[in-house]
Amino acid sequence: MSSPRRERREADPALSDPERLYVITGDPDGGERAALDLVTMVVAKEQPTPTVQPEQAVILRLCQAPLSVAEISAYLSLPFSVVTSLLTELLASELIESRAPIVRATLPDRSLLEAVMHGLQKL
Amino acid sequence: MARAESPPTHREIPLARAALLPVLLTAGATAAAAALVSGATRVPVVSCGAVTTVVVAALTVALARRARAMRRQRAEYEHRLAVLEHRLATHDEEAIRINKELLPAAIHRLRVGNSPDEVLRDIVDADEVYRDLPEAQRALVRTVLNIIDNEEAMRDSAQRAFVNVARRVQAIVHRQASELREMEEHHGRNPDVFDDLLRIDHGTALIGRLADSIAVLGGARPSRQWPKPVPLFSVLRGAMSRILEYPRVDLHSIAKVAIIGTAVEPLIHVCAELLDNATRYSPPQTRVHVTAVEVQTGIAIEIEDGGVSLSEEARARAENMLARAQAGSSMNDLGESPRLGMAVVGRLSRMYDLQVSLRQSAYGGVRAVLVVPRAMITTGPAPGIAHGIGATSRPTSDIDVAGMKHVVPPRSKRRKPLPVEARPATGPVASDSRPVAASAAMGDDAPVVTEWTAGGLPQRRSRGRAPLGSHNLPAQPAAPPSGQRNGHANGSDSGKEQPPGLWLEAFTNAVNGVPQEPRTGEDTDDAWDKGDLK
Repeated sequence: MSSPRRERREADPALSDPERLYVITGDPDGGERAALDLVTMVVAKEQPTPTVQPEQAVILRLCQAPLSVAEISAYLSLPFSVVTSLLTELLASELIESRAPIVRATLPDRSLLEAVMHGLQKL
Repeated sequence: MARAESPPTHREIPLARAALLPVLLTAGATAAAAALVSGATRVPVVSCGAVTTVVVAALTVALARRARAMRRQRAEYEHRLAVLEHRLATHDEEAIRINKELLPAAIHRLRVGNSPDEVLRDIVDADEVYRDLPEAQRALVRTVLNIIDNEEAMRDSAQRAFVNVARRVQAIVHRQASELREMEEHHGRNPDVFDDLLRIDHGTALIGRLADSIAVLGGARPSRQWPKPVPLFSVLRGAMSRILEYPRVDLHSIAKVAIIGTAVEPLIHVCAELLDNATRYSPPQTRVHVTAVEVQTGIAIEIEDGGVSLSEEARARAENMLARAQAGSSMNDLGESPRLGMAVVGRLSRMYDLQVSLRQSAYGGVRAVLVVPRAMITTGPAPGIAHGIGATSRPTSDIDVAGMKHVVPPRSKRRKPLPVEARPATGPVASDSRPVAASAAMGDDAPVVTEWTAGGLPQRRSRGRAPLGSHNLPAQPAAPPSGQRNGHANGSDSGKEQPPGLWLEAFTNAVNGVPQEPRTGEDTDDAWDKGDLK
C-alpha cells in the first residue's frame, strides 16, 4: 500500500509542499477574480510591504519589470487561477498595476481604428 | 520449639512434689487414726488408710500428669495459633507486597514486551525475596500475567486494526491529494473548475486529518515523511489547509526558521488540531491570530482566538485531557462522543516533546502556546519561504531578473498597442500537456517556445509564434504565415516591402478575431489603400 505512494512522491517532488493551493488563494470560493488574461502585463508599483503574503512579495519583486501573468504563473509554479487570485488582491491594494488593457474584453472601436488608419495613410 | 520444651522440664519436679502432699496427708491421717484407735480396729484402719493413701497417690499422680499434659497441649495450641497468625500476617504482607511491588514490576515488564514466563523468571526467580514464593501465589501471579497479556494482545490488535484502517484512508487521501494537485495544475486556466477542485481538495485534506488523528490515537506515528526541512511558515499553512475554516486564520510575524523533516508532519498535525479548536470554539466572524517567535527553548507558536473565554473549570478539564493523553491514555478513555483534538495533541506532544499550554487570551478567548523544541529547528538552507517560492522558483527568481533583461525590454518597447503578443510561457514545471491546453484556450496555434536561457528559464523567440502581435512589426521576416493568414492579396504583396496599411489592417482583422471573413471586402480596401499610398 505504501509503495505506490512512495513512487508517486518520488515521481513528483513538486508536490511535497505541505500547504494546499486553497490556502494560498485564501478564499474558499476563489472570490471574484479581476479580469486578468494570461497575457496581461503586470508591473509592481511599490516594494513589497511586510504584510503581504510571501507569494505576493515575490510577485512584487518579480514585477519590477513588467511581466505577463503567464510568466508569473510559471516562475512561481502556481496555477494560473491561483496567480490571478493573488494578483486580484494586489490590484485591490494597489500594489501592482496591470498595464495592458484586456484585449479580449475590450475590442477596439473599429471606426476609431479606421480613422487612425486613414490618418496614417494621409501622412 | 525451645519454648515448647522448657515448661514441661519445669513442671517435672512439681509432679512428684504435688503428689507428695496429699500422700503425706493421707499417710499422716492414717497414722493418726491408727494411733487413735485401738486394738482390733487398728488393722482395718491401717489397711484402709494404706489403700486410701495408695489410691490418693495414684490419683494425684494421674491428675497431675493429666494437668501437665493439658498444660502442654494448651501451650502447644497457643504456639500453633501464634505460628498460624504469624503465617497469616506474612501472607497478608506478601499479598500486599505482590500487589504493590511485584505485579506492577511484572506488568511493566509485560508491557515492554516480555512474555509472562520471561517475566516470572526475571521478576520472581531472579529475586531472592520472591524466590521461595509459595506455589499458590506463583500460580496466582502467573494467571494474572496471562490475563493481562491476553488483554494487551487484544487491545494491541484492536489498535492495530484501527491504525491499519487509518493508514489505508491516509494512502487514499494522499493519492487523491496528489491527483487533485495535478488536476489543479491542469485546469488552472479555468477558474470555475479550479475553484471546485480547490473545494474538493479541502474536503480531502479534512478527511486526511481525521485519518491521521485515528492513527495517532492508535499509537502510531504520523506516516507522512518530509524528506527536507520545511519552513515554519509552510508548516503553519499546511496546518491551516487541514482545518475547515482556514480563511479565518491570520499568520503574523512567523519566525524564519525551518522545521526538520521528521518533525514536520507531527507539527502540522498538532497545529492543525489547535487551530481547529480555536476556529471551532470562537464566533465565526472573529479571526484567529497565529504568531511564532523564537524563545530560549525553541519556537513558541501562539494561537489566539477571540472566542468565549475559557473558564477555569473548562481550562482544567482541557489540561486534564491533555495530561491524560500525555500519560498515554488509550482509545477507551475517549468516551462516547470523542473529542479527539486534545487527545491527539497530547499524544503527539508526548511523542515529540512538544509543550502545550492553554491560557486565557488577553482579548477574551483562548491562547494556546505550543513550544517546539530547538532540536526540531534548523536554520540551515530551507527550500524557501513558502509554497511556490520553494525549491524550484526561489533560485530562478534571482536569475530571471537578469534573464528578463533581454526578454522584457523589447516587449516593453512595443508594449503600447499590443502586449497581447506575449504568449504563455511554459514554465519550468509545466506539464507537457499544458501548452496545448493553453493554446486551445487562446484559440491560436501552439506556441513555439523554446529556447532556454542559461538560468533554465524559457525564452521566447521574438518572432513567429505570436500571430496577433507579429503583424506589429512589418520589418520582421514573420511575413509568410501572416500573409497566408490575411488573404491572398496580402500574400502576393508580402514578398517585398509591405505597405503600412497592410499590417494595420491585418491587426484589425486579428483583433476582431475574423481573419478570413471580410477578405473580399477588405481586398478592395487594400487595393484602394495601396493605390492611395502610391
